[in-house]
Amino acid sequence: MPDMSRYYDLSVSQIREGLASGQFSACELTAAALERVDAEDQKIHAFLQVTPDLAMDAAREVDQRIAQGAFDAMGPLAGVPVAFKDNMNLTGTRTTCASRMLETYVSPYTATCVDKVLQAGGIPLGKLNMDEFAFGSTTESSAFGPTCNPWDLTRVPGGSSGGSAAAVAAGLATVTLGSDTGGSIRQPANFCGVVGVKPTYGTVSRYGVVAFGSSLDQVGPFARSVKDAALAMNALIGRDPKDCTSQDIATDFVAAAQQDVAGMRIGLVPEFMNAPGLSSQVKDRILEAAAKLEAMGAQIVEVTLPNAAASISSYYVLGPCEAFSNLARFDSVRYGYCDPGHRDLQGQYDASREIGFGKEARRRMLLGSYLLASGVYDKYYYPAQKVRTLITQDYARAYESCDVILMPASPRPAFKFGEIADPAEMYLSDVFTVSINIAGNGGMSVPVGLCPQTGMPIGAQLVCPQFKDENMFRAAAALERAFGPAGVAPDFAGRAGE
Amino acid sequence: MKKLTQQDVRGLASYARIGLSDEELPQMTEDLNNIIATLEPILEYNLEGVEPTFHPIGSLSNVMREDVEVPGLTQEQALSNAPAAQDGSFLIPSILGEGGDR
Amino acid sequence: MSSVKKLEEVLKDWEAVIGLEIHTELTTLNTKMFCGCKLEFGAQPNTHVCPVCLGLPGALPVPNKAAIESIVLAGLATNCDIEKHSMFYRKNYMYPDMAKNFQTTQGPVAFCMRGYLDLDVDGAGAKERYGLEDLAEGQTQDNITRTKDGYVAHVGITRIHMEEDAGKMIHVGGGEGRIAGATHSLVDYNRAGTPLIELVTEPDLRTPEEARLFMQKLRQIFLALGISDCSMEEGSMRCDGNVSLRRRGTTQFGTKTELKNMNSFKNLHDGLLYEICRQAEVLEEGGIIYQETRHWDPSAKRTIVMRVKETADDYRLFPEPDLAPYDLTDEWIDSVRAKLPELPDQKAARFQRDFGLSAYDARHLVAEPAVAAFFQECMDVSKGPDAQDDSTRKLAKALANLCINDITARANADAAFDLASPECPLTPARAVELVGLISSDAISSKQGKEVFAAVIELDRDPGTIVEERGMKQVSDTGAIEAVVDQVIAENQDAVARYKDGNVKLIGFFVGNCMKALKGQGNPKLINQIVAEKLNQ
Repeated sequence: MPDMSRYYDLSVSQIREGLASGQFSACELTAAALERVDAEDQKIHAFLQVTPDLAMDAAREVDQRIAQGAFDAMGPLAGVPVAFKDNMNLTGTRTTCASRMLETYVSPYTATCVDKVLQAGGIPLGKLNMDEFAFGSTTESSAFGPTCNPWDLTRVPGGSSGGSAAAVAAGLATVTLGSDTGGSIRQPANFCGVVGVKPTYGTVSRYGVVAFGSSLDQVGPFARSVKDAALAMNALIGRDPKDCTSQDIATDFVAAAQQDVAGMRIGLVPEFMNAPGLSSQVKDRILEAAAKLEAMGAQIVEVTLPNAAASISSYYVLGPCEAFSNLARFDSVRYGYCDPGHRDLQGQYDASREIGFGKEARRRMLLGSYLLASGVYDKYYYPAQKVRTLITQDYARAYESCDVILMPASPRPAFKFGEIADPAEMYLSDVFTVSINIAGNGGMSVPVGLCPQTGMPIGAQLVCPQFKDENMFRAAAALERAFGPAGVAPDFAGRAGE
Repeated sequence: MKKLTQQDVRGLASYARIGLSDEELPQMTEDLNNIIATLEPILEYNLEGVEPTFHPIGSLSNVMREDVEVPGLTQEQALSNAPAAQDGSFLIPSILGEGGDR
Repeated sequence: MSSVKKLEEVLKDWEAVIGLEIHTELTTLNTKMFCGCKLEFGAQPNTHVCPVCLGLPGALPVPNKAAIESIVLAGLATNCDIEKHSMFYRKNYMYPDMAKNFQTTQGPVAFCMRGYLDLDVDGAGAKERYGLEDLAEGQTQDNITRTKDGYVAHVGITRIHMEEDAGKMIHVGGGEGRIAGATHSLVDYNRAGTPLIELVTEPDLRTPEEARLFMQKLRQIFLALGISDCSMEEGSMRCDGNVSLRRRGTTQFGTKTELKNMNSFKNLHDGLLYEICRQAEVLEEGGIIYQETRHWDPSAKRTIVMRVKETADDYRLFPEPDLAPYDLTDEWIDSVRAKLPELPDQKAARFQRDFGLSAYDARHLVAEPAVAAFFQECMDVSKGPDAQDDSTRKLAKALANLCINDITARANADAAFDLASPECPLTPARAVELVGLISSDAISSKQGKEVFAAVIELDRDPGTIVEERGMKQVSDTGAIEAVVDQVIAENQDAVARYKDGNVKLIGFFVGNCMKALKGQGNPKLINQIVAEKLNQ
């Protein structure tokens, strides 16, 4: 029996090597991973559901392929412990969206992104915590309790994909999937000190991922290295005939991450770097990242996004409108929470949706219901879609003089639970992420060091033109070389074996 | 901008079929008004002549599938998450009033 | 209501303004609008469903290309402009038969806009149109042009848009499956997501007959296109009517009511007729018409209120982000246009041109595609097109009569009778043989009806049946003269009365002659000879 105590910080490539060379079997690795989740997750509550049977079945399959000498033909994630945000359907598992509404819902089908990860050989450990229906940036709105930041359990992991970021940061999974509607991958990656990728809209299929804002949602991976994220991207991309908005992309992200940044043009946006809420610690790190990229041969240019200021308003019009409509299907008829004892359907609707949905979900639906009402639609929704045009044009102009834009992912590092109570104030913290969803660009967060005051990780956001996601991987790999790989959060590293 | 009244919020909740208790109505009204206040920049933009972007991928159009049957769910699977079912159908309490104009 | 004024009376004082909304399911497709579930009527509940049409969390729609082709065909066949740029929208309202609680439909721009149909209104139905007698043939007023038999009405089509149908509900515990009084309901989503096209007319219709004819003509066109089975009974073609009245001579529209449940041509006509008369009575008594949805109850022969619309419905329509917009090319539209079959109007014109049929016969012949096809086959196996040839014209006329009268009646009365089936005993060759027997005076037209029924019942050739039953028509002039002489001789007082001026008695003589000939005498010859002999 090999010593599996330090498997959890192995990279995807190291796992592959270990399996190929017979250092350990997939079953051994998986058993150790499940054991670790069992032992450690109670501290952070990243998992809403652990799926040991599915995991062991998948592991046995990998071992069988190894025994047959067919391991080389297996996909890039063969034997890699993975987990999914709980808004992704996987047949036979509960898909709760961290909502009481779906507490007992069992998926009868599998999301394309989940399927692709499994086809690539991923070992499904379970489903991960999130803000209810992805509404939030802290996981505090999960109906099943929040996830804690592995770097400091008194701080939020970010959200909405907080469980996905925390699981990777705590070494509970090697790769996880999240979804990002306004920053829900990049902000928690930033807060937990891991790599988080929101690809260009249309790069990864949304089929089977419970929708929040259909024109904004995009699925992407979390990992502890740019290369691991790139391997996951290679498995995830490709046109899905079940998602009209998915595109045929054939980028090799691993190859992109191997290129250096010499001659690359990196944009800095004064409107963002001088934004009033931006903390100096974050600003310093971003400027340091720019300096390091420049030192590696990249060219730093200033680009301007004059309409970026309107992106928050535009986002908080479009998101709730689409959410209002997407969440109408949760009505207690076909599935979902059904309040018992009602003699008329309307009463059952009202009570089931009042009790089944948390406060933030209801707030966003009410907002959407208001913004789409006749008379109001012309005032907000229609103009917001026009503002979207302006923001998209801003980015297009900016990309004429740069290949990738470097910016903060959020104004400051992870904050403490309960620190921000007013929803309007919370919304404003999405200022650096939402414009990317509005324009459909790709964006990713990579760790660029720690906050000198709190010791919390800080990430830099790299943003690229639509379907030029290889650009940000190139720059991300360079930053990783400069700042070192993400690594498991200190309190979760090295303990098991010591 | 005119603020939403509690009455307005009641109407929105009723349309969205979301129960809202009397206790939470004042706070919800205030929250919504605060959020709506942050949307103001939209109102101040001069957007004349700007075309809206409803779909973020501009070049995408005419995405369709062939008219070919694909296996779906069994009746058992379809009803597996139903709060109530009877005779192969979803069971719901009586409906007051009428729905849309189909 | 105590009494309903007759429509003709009402329309003297009031002008009825009618618009129709016609929903047609594209039943001839294999699969649903946004998923690959099979389209099938009458299957076990919830057996043709999937994550998409059940509205499961995370499912996404993908449009059926054949459905888009079908609606473009429908638009081209109804003189619409095909809009190259259009989108799907979400129409949001909560109702349990709609799995997503929004209906995917189209917004301000539909695939098909600004079309029209010209209706030939003739016979008794034309009398519903007020002021028609004031027009001379060929004269145009408003949207109608006077013709020999009636008039042509030009009816605008606002739009045809693509959408999806809802599931089906069964209401349990109330009366007759109605929603009122039900304690609970059962929902079946097999129908949910069925491709549905909605056609909206301009408010150009003025009489129930025009509305009926519009629906009928549209049905003929859709059947010819093969895009739907157009069954009003099974609900694959459904019609709602918007009706308002205004005083003759005024231009302001009155308040309209929306009429539902008109699931047959007769119900459409009768429902609208009733509603027009009801509104007139209310208005004449100084009452108010409320904007409401009313349900036509064919057994009670009245309309009843379903729902009062106090405020305009707010469906919070917005563009569907899950579906890419449309950007149709001229080439693609032309490729669909190339699939257009011969449409009923074109077919009628050709029947006139090729076979010398009257406009009336041609129009009624093409009403049912199966009947028109049968007629065509009959002509193909016999004469072929030659309108200059007298015998072709005669045969065509006789076949047209058989098709319009006997065959249509049979099809209406007998659901199992299917002209298009290869097993149908009435083949084109037999139909040609049958009309040949009649026109050659081998059998009488009355005997012809008996043979027609026997052909279908026994699956035998008309000639065989005539022979077996000894149904020869006596057209031998000598034999008939002998019988006539005998009947005259036996009824001398009747002859005297006839000569005194009671000319109706000729029927008495003809009847007695026919009886003597055991019903096999040629009625035309008997008539002729009786008249000759009596007048000698």
